[in-house]
Amino acid sequence: MAGCTVPSSCSSSRIRDPWISAWVMQRSKSSPDPVRPRCLWPCTHRLVAKTSLTSPPWPEVKLPDPVEEAKYHAEVVQKVNGLISAGRYGRLFAVVHFASKQWKITSEDLIMMDNVLEAECGDRIRMEKVLLVGADDFTLIGRPLLGKELVRVEATVIEKTESWPKVNMRFWRRHNYQRKKIIANPQTVLRINTIEIYPCLS
Amino acid sequence: PPPPPPPPPPPPPPPPPPPPPPPGHPRACPRIPGAALPSPPRAGGAPGSLQVPPEVQPFSRASQFVRAAVILRWKTLKEHFRGRKNRCYKLAVKSVRRAFVRSTKARREKKRFLRALWITRIEAASLEHGLKYPAFISNLLKSQVELNRKVLADLAIYEPKTFKSLAALAQRRRQEGFLAALGDGKEPEGIFSRIVHHHY
Repeated sequence: MAGCTVPSSCSSSRIRDPWISAWVMQRSKSSPDPVRPRCLWPCTHRLVAKTSLTSPPWPEVKLPDPVEEAKYHAEVVQKVNGLISAGRYGRLFAVVHFASKQWKITSEDLIMMDNVLEAECGDRIRMEKVLLVGADDFTLIGRPLLGKELVRVEATVIEKTESWPKVNMRFWRRHNYQRKKIIANPQTVLRINTIEIYPCLS
Repeated sequence: PPPPPPPPPPPPPPPPPPPPPPPGHPRACPRIPGAALPSPPRAGGAPGSLQVPPEVQPFSRASQFVRAAVILRWKTLKEHFRGRKNRCYKLAVKSVRRAFVRSTKARREKKRFLRALWITRIEAASLEHGLKYPAFISNLLKSQVELNRKVLADLAIYEPKTFKSLAALAQRRRQEGFLAALGDGKEPEGIFSRIVHHHY
């Protein structure tokens, strides 16, 4: 996994769970009587039988050492930065959020949107909401978006037409009801010119 | 020897098809006597003129409005129908109407079954990496990666390495979630639990 920062562990939720088999009894301040000795984990024998609720239903999880992990992450980030700055990547693909849809695009791609774009034919457009950028060896995953100084996706408006005339018809039998409407949506065709990344990972 | 039987008489020539009624004919729709012909739908046909193909036998008293529109539509859809539906007017009207209604409804259902297809594909791909679909999707969303199912399905097909890294991210977030659910391992202070663990 390269290029993305791993989320740190979430805040622990304090829930009372029966899986914990060692708990500290509150010593009441009023009673000077000696209370039961505190139990230390692990115990040699148990009075409570092992039930289905003694341990959680998922297998025990062990995360790697955070210090070592941080070192590994820094190394990976450095490596990817080096690859980007040296230009050692082939064709880039990107996932872009545009016109309320997500598209997986590369350079020289044609895209058709089912709506109007307020730009004339031949205008060059920059798509800012980039969710993911990848090459053969590495991927940069945005959470949820990647920074504007990291990626640049440029496109040109090629064509603005209408779709083929779609027929919208409603018909109820035996009720003498039918409505017919012909709909031609406006469409825009874009050509993705370039996808560029800059080596400013940290 | 008996005389040879007389040759059968030649069959009578088929009657010529009756000409279509001109627009001003009284047999045309009496409800709209002076109205101009409706403009036909954009799918084919010159505007303002009733172009009845020669093979059509109009024998119903349908209004000229419906007939013009239906015939023009029917010319474009003729190749799609099988049997008498592509030749006989009455049957064609019904079939064309049903075809249009079905295409309208199918446009709404297409979104549903495309999404189901994407989910199936993502499930298959995530099982290859040892994760189930609900775990994969929920953990991706919890890690603030907001890729939709269409794009995830495309990545699973065309970018397997990227999908593998996404699966690893989801798996890691899942494990951290499990650890967070267990908490510190202590009961909250001041609570006397009904579930009493006596370990000596």
